[in-house]
Amino acid sequence: MDVKRKVEITRVNPQDWPDGTPAWKEEDPDLGYDIIPAERYTSEAFAKLEWDRLWTKVWLLGGRSDDMREPGDYICTEIGKESVLIVRQEDGSVRAFPNVCLHRGNKLRPEGLGNAEKFQCMYHHWTYDLGGAICRIPDRDTFPQGAPPGARLPSYPCGEWGGFVWYSLNPDVEPLADYLDPMQKHLAPYHIERMAWKRDITVEWDCNWKAAVDAFSEVYHVQGIHPQLQWYLDDTNAQIDVYGKHSRYLVPFATVSARVALPSAIPPAIEHIMIQAGMDPAEYEGRVSDIRLDVQRFKREHGPEQGRDYSELNDDQLTDDYHYTIFPNVSLNVHADDVMMFRMRPHATDPNKMLYDVWMFELVPEGEEWPDRVRHQHFRHGDRTIGQVLDQDAFNLPTVQKGMHSDAFPGLWIGDQELRIRAFHKSITDYVYPDGQRPGDL
Amino acid sequence: MDLGLQGKKAMLVGAARGIGMAIAETLAREGCDLVIAARSEDSVKDAVAALKRYGTNVIGRPVNVRKADDYKAWLTWADEAIGGVDILVPLSSSGGGMGSEKYWTNAFETDVMGPVRAVEAVIPGMTERKSGSIVLIGTTSVGEAMGGPQAYNAMKASLITWGKQLALFHGKDNIRVNVVSPGPVEFEGGNWDMIKGTMEKFYQSQLRQQPTGRLGTPDEIARCVAFLASPAASWCNGSHLVVDGGFTNRTHF
Repeated sequence: MDVKRKVEITRVNPQDWPDGTPAWKEEDPDLGYDIIPAERYTSEAFAKLEWDRLWTKVWLLGGRSDDMREPGDYICTEIGKESVLIVRQEDGSVRAFPNVCLHRGNKLRPEGLGNAEKFQCMYHHWTYDLGGAICRIPDRDTFPQGAPPGARLPSYPCGEWGGFVWYSLNPDVEPLADYLDPMQKHLAPYHIERMAWKRDITVEWDCNWKAAVDAFSEVYHVQGIHPQLQWYLDDTNAQIDVYGKHSRYLVPFATVSARVALPSAIPPAIEHIMIQAGMDPAEYEGRVSDIRLDVQRFKREHGPEQGRDYSELNDDQLTDDYHYTIFPNVSLNVHADDVMMFRMRPHATDPNKMLYDVWMFELVPEGEEWPDRVRHQHFRHGDRTIGQVLDQDAFNLPTVQKGMHSDAFPGLWIGDQELRIRAFHKSITDYVYPDGQRPGDL
Repeated sequence: MDLGLQGKKAMLVGAARGIGMAIAETLAREGCDLVIAARSEDSVKDAVAALKRYGTNVIGRPVNVRKADDYKAWLTWADEAIGGVDILVPLSSSGGGMGSEKYWTNAFETDVMGPVRAVEAVIPGMTERKSGSIVLIGTTSVGEAMGGPQAYNAMKASLITWGKQLALFHGKDNIRVNVVSPGPVEFEGGNWDMIKGTMEKFYQSQLRQQPTGRLGTPDEIARCVAFLASPAASWCNGSHLVVDGGFTNRTHF
């Protein structure tokens, strides 16, 4: 790697934290060095295969449990051509249904959140109860054939974990817990359910959904498009772990990249971390290279009095970015005090388009009031800023997508720092070609 | 032109990197013996090793300028160890910062009392020998806005007033005191290196304000400091030399 300095990053001893997030490095899978075909990103045929064999088979993230606390609260979310209604039941459970009236196909609800006693179609007022059963068909006697089969909306597998609600379009999907394993053990110590919405944004991006997943699967691009982050994190000391179809990297924050000289002044972004922790950078006597561990010590000592319970987190987690990908399309930067997560959704028909959901949550300290829910915003890429770093991430993606159509570009030339991209594609291969790849397959 | 620095003994406080290191190198190259200080033991060791290649006597010890007793002990040691200081360049600085009252204390202790204590430590010897040269380091930020209202800018300004008055007071003993105020200077690991990486637009705006379209280098400051420190500048006393490539707008009548 092109570094200016040798940097030794102190990491926790995983054995010291047996009940917490597993911190040890997994052995890297041997996934070879083949080119990943660009057509996976550009071909409508491949997108169709993904729909038939991946999107309709896996568990998908639907939303936040705390957006549907009361019976009748619902989240209406879309994936590809499907729209799904996730509804809190009287007994506290959640159920998911296709968001479509069985009469003439109208959508029952627009995308978003709400509360309903019943779901009434706007067209002819066919009405469904919270459990999806038809409870009213106006002029029922004019349907001599009776109600549609079962007189209810079919239901999709649905469940909750980690403060989130999940659903699957696959009636035979494995149990949610099996699908997510081992992410639960990794993420539970953060108690994301103690965090409240900070931002809820959907941006239309002109790229394939996988190009966006890729963009958040490696820190190799920091020196390219985020030069300022080199005075905030050490991109040369990322630990990569692959867990079957899920994966993560651990990036030390509150430290300076080995790619740049160590400054004597505290970089502004690291000052911000210190201030957020409750430290006064002006009081700080140590060197810039000592700050990461000192912030960890400070938060460990002062967390409880700030109403922040870090007891289940290891020391590294008090500063660092533990970044997870829950296959296929959820990317989470988890931190002790906040989570910045993304959900990448494919376009229904066009492999060159996608929806990028930005969800940010912040820990609500004990004793503080739970803030009002932020409003959802939806716009096209470029119409508004989503913050400097994410704007930088977004900047290249349309040109990446266009470039991938070139006959001169056979596919992605992936290096070791991008192992998670390779692992991601291996999982896609396993879903799309369950019987193994044949010649000509992408 | 011979600067006449051969054999002079110079004390530099804050000399392990950047402008301080460049001054140390320039003086060593001109034949000065050096005694240097910096915060960390490693950086002093590295700097001493690097400076020795010019063949003069170079010694150094780490010290935290903000610990008054340690610092005074260091000054006593350094003056003796080098055999009487001819040239003093105190560069210690806690840098900029806004948003905490503590920045004022830091700047006072490091940027002001660092030089004050060093000057007080060397003046008796210089007075006795009827010879000495002191160069204080200001900044163009004392005269023009930079980075918001900061303790750093205001505390550095006090050195310019104090430097002039030192010059008037000690001139009779053939001790000259001058001030050099550098404009923005870029070097690896320095503030402007970080600003270039973290606030590129601001950095570019600063370049546009530079008549030459670039920032200064430590060497360009060091050569001016070396000149003022040297016997070649024997008629410069109480002067304030702004070294900024023409960055500041003000005309100094």
